[in-house]
Amino acid sequence: MFIKQIFMAVLGASFGFIVSGGVFTVLISVGLIPRFAGKMHIAKHIFILEEMVVLGTLLGDFLSVFSDYGDIGEWALSHEVFGAQATVAAWHVVGSVILSFFGVFSGIFVGCLALAIAEMLDTIPIFSRRIGFRHGLGIAILAVALGKMVGSLLYFTQSVYLYGG
Amino acid sequence: MSTNSVTLYLKAEQNIELQSEDVYLKDIGKLTCTDENILAKIKTIKLHRFRKEEPQRQVISILKVIEEINKIYPNVSVENIGEADILIEHINVNKHKSPVQVFKIIFVSLIAFFGTAFTIMAFHNDIGINQVFSKVYKMVMGQASDGYGVLEFSYSIGLALGIILFFNHIGGRRITKDPTPIEVEMRVYEADVNKALIETADREGKMIDVH
Repeated sequence: MFIKQIFMAVLGASFGFIVSGGVFTVLISVGLIPRFAGKMHIAKHIFILEEMVVLGTLLGDFLSVFSDYGDIGEWALSHEVFGAQATVAAWHVVGSVILSFFGVFSGIFVGCLALAIAEMLDTIPIFSRRIGFRHGLGIAILAVALGKMVGSLLYFTQSVYLYGG
Repeated sequence: MSTNSVTLYLKAEQNIELQSEDVYLKDIGKLTCTDENILAKIKTIKLHRFRKEEPQRQVISILKVIEEINKIYPNVSVENIGEADILIEHINVNKHKSPVQVFKIIFVSLIAFFGTAFTIMAFHNDIGINQVFSKVYKMVMGQASDGYGVLEFSYSIGLALGIILFFNHIGGRRITKDPTPIEVEMRVYEADVNKALIETADREGKMIDVH
């Protein structure tokens, strides 16, 4: 029994090791964080950003692997953190704020990631060269952004996720 | 020693940021010369002046620099062992110390934090990590798992260790002296941007060059 436990610990640690290597190689090779830092002229503070990448990953890991312990909403409601009467209403506000934070910032990140991956494969340069595209690159980018937004809204409002595998 | 034999060695940099409006020759890189007097004078040759209405980013060709030197010292031969085109940016000092910068750091930090949290969750969701773990648990232990066990804990520890090794630092401290992957990528990105800016300036004829 004990040996099996040790075996599983080794398994788990190796899984984690390789997953972090794989996931972060993708994140690094698309060069998202350097680009943010470059655009915002905060390259001096790149350590803070790396720290945030580490902490964010650990948060996501915790919330998805130990999802039963991540129910802060349930905890807040059952412990009545804002008093017996006000908790439900107050937590609705607090929860919405947390969710909108999560939504906005992870949305920005995923949007940048999607286009960065497209760009790494040189989609846009190749296409514009093939079709002799000279002007209006800005409009094309705007169209891509709007298309992504519309697609995302349709996905959630029309329950497209129900048809996936 | 006659001035005929004087050679000025110049190692121009690819990208320089200046706080002053005037660009002198000493700003664009490192210089050396056997004649100290000539060197001192050449260093103070003015190459460009950033005016308010002009773009605060200019590309200077090394040919222009050589031309400027030869205007004053026709007999000095210039050997450039650095970059052929130099990108000069005029930056405002005050701009870099304002609360705006703190705000930017917080903004990007939030993106990095929530973005990676979302990414790893989506990844775990994609691969169905809890199913994989309960399957592995059943294979090893011979019975179904009840709640979270050693597998989940060790996975999380492995993940954390992997990231820390990958990024090469804990807190503010480096583990080895190597630069972190993000720092490396930052330099690569910087060099790419400089190259693109220089080539654009060249193509649009906006480079400060000899005619």
